Amino acid sequence: MNWTDFLRFARGPLMGAALVVFAAGISYRLVRVVALGWSRGRAPARAADKTVGVLRTYLRGLGIFPFIPWVKQTFRGNAVTFLAGGLFHFGLLVIVFLGTAHMLVWKSLLGFGWPTVALPIIDGLAAATIVAMVALLINRLTHPVLRRLSGTSEFANLIVVFLPMLTGWIMAHHLWFRYEVIFGLHVASVALLLVWIPFSRLSHFVFYFFSRTSHGIEFGKRGVTP
Amino acid sequence: MKRETISEHLEAEGISRREFMSYCGVLAGALGLSQVAPLAASGLPADLGRPATVLQRNLTETVARALETKPRQPVIWLEFQDCAGCTEAITRSTSPTLVELILNKMALNYHETLFAAAGHQAEAARADAMEKYAGEYLLVVEGSVPVGDPGFCTIGGRTAEDILREAARGAAAVISVGSCASFGGLPAANPNPTGARSAADILSGTTVVNIPGCPAIPEATTGVLTHFLVFGELPELDDLNRPTAFYGTTIHDRCLRRPFYDEGKFANSFDDEGARKGWCLYKLGCKGPTTYNACAVLKWNGGVSFPIESGHPCLGCSQPDFWDNGGFYQGQSSIIGPPGLGSAATAVGIGAVVGAGVAAVNIAKRRDKGEDS
Repeated sequence: MNWTDFLRFARGPLMGAALVVFAAGISYRLVRVVALGWSRGRAPARAADKTVGVLRTYLRGLGIFPFIPWVKQTFRGNAVTFLAGGLFHFGLLVIVFLGTAHMLVWKSLLGFGWPTVALPIIDGLAAATIVAMVALLINRLTHPVLRRLSGTSEFANLIVVFLPMLTGWIMAHHLWFRYEVIFGLHVASVALLLVWIPFSRLSHFVFYFFSRTSHGIEFGKRGVTP
Repeated sequence: MKRETISEHLEAEGISRREFMSYCGVLAGALGLSQVAPLAASGLPADLGRPATVLQRNLTETVARALETKPRQPVIWLEFQDCAGCTEAITRSTSPTLVELILNKMALNYHETLFAAAGHQAEAARADAMEKYAGEYLLVVEGSVPVGDPGFCTIGGRTAEDILREAARGAAAVISVGSCASFGGLPAANPNPTGARSAADILSGTTVVNIPGCPAIPEATTGVLTHFLVFGELPELDDLNRPTAFYGTTIHDRCLRRPFYDEGKFANSFDDEGARKGWCLYKLGCKGPTTYNACAVLKWNGGVSFPIESGHPCLGCSQPDFWDNGGFYQGQSSIIGPPGLGSAATAVGIGAVVGAGVAAVNIAKRRDKGEDS
């Protein structure tokens, strides 16, 4: 198999299989979580506005906490986690959804597209995101508490997320490799990430939204929390 | 009997020495000789560090020496499952033109489309040329070879595969012109009803130069033919056996619309403001970034234009299996044949069933241990 064939394999059967495993894996994990059950409400709520609770939770979680450092303990506890972690998540989401090449991937899956951000902006964000990931890795290796909390899976998570970022950046800059080689490796690394997400803590990529919603419903209730 | 050299032939045609040297210079330029490796092997110093004018003079001398000493190059051109588009293209080549090639430097001993002879006479001409120039002739293949059902392409009662194998045995070199001969092309597109294969697939063990494209750029074809004529060997090839002089860079890297790509200015339809302003066609499915060819440099019709310049995204026609690499107007990064809703639903269902099963087992275990109040 030459690299042109590899690229075709990666864009075709490999990505298709990775998407199927991703869908099955997320579904599996979700059912497992739901099957754990909720604790019984021993004191019924006096009133409940679940929608407001959910909206407020999302607003705080995505709109306020990340941008006002003193609200969260994280900043005082570990500023690197707060800053680099925030930058990484912001960069990743913008690149994945607003990068032109990435939007075309979504378009091929969803059937519709949307406006995208110019390459130099995406490129700058990608560089910042890669630097943020390196900072997070160094932080994890040097922080006395984080180091003790980190096992193989934590470092594996970092590597699996880092590979698509790095290969994508190398590809965009035409460095060292022929285009089809690095393009194939980039797609293959994304396929690995897709398979990895459901079965690791990277599943927060999807479950964040389930847990936020669930918590929001709880927060919307007024009464005694059992 | 000693065969007439090319310069003797030209002299007999009334071409002066000055015209001959001028022509050799043009030819050296067209070959892109400063980029090809065998220059050193040609006997003249490469002098790549010298000023361009000196380099050009030496290149011209290299070409002139070859044309002065060598006889006209015999060529046998086979056509199988093709549309003759590559032949059509080469008849419109500009530097050197096919007319110049045939009249002055090549002896086209067999070519179905361009031949005046037909039927048994043509086949006899091929057999004669193969016998007379055994080990010397260049074999050019256009079109793919049906292996699944040979009945799709027989000439004079013989299968394409048989003819190709026989002709390749006595060839000095084999050159596949066009995507069909190079990679199977359109006839090999899914579901490949004829079992079409490339010439290289049939002639495993033989180095086959691939000049893919639909059609192949005529200057690339004539360039390779002339390179063989001048140096007596094949040009430098890449991993898909394409000459690097013509297939060394992607369309994207040399595209005149590239600055718009870098700025993020795209045409979103064929008739929007972006399209009218000549912005990048990437979002309309341009395959330029993964397509290796010289269209953006050599262009077509004597350098007039090429598809992207004329407003249409690159189809990637010179890449293997381009027909099956996703839709022409789908993004080049899109997933090829993504799983449909059915597959996704099945996957979600399987995940849910397995999850529910595992959860049920766990709940039962907890009950047994009396943990569940």
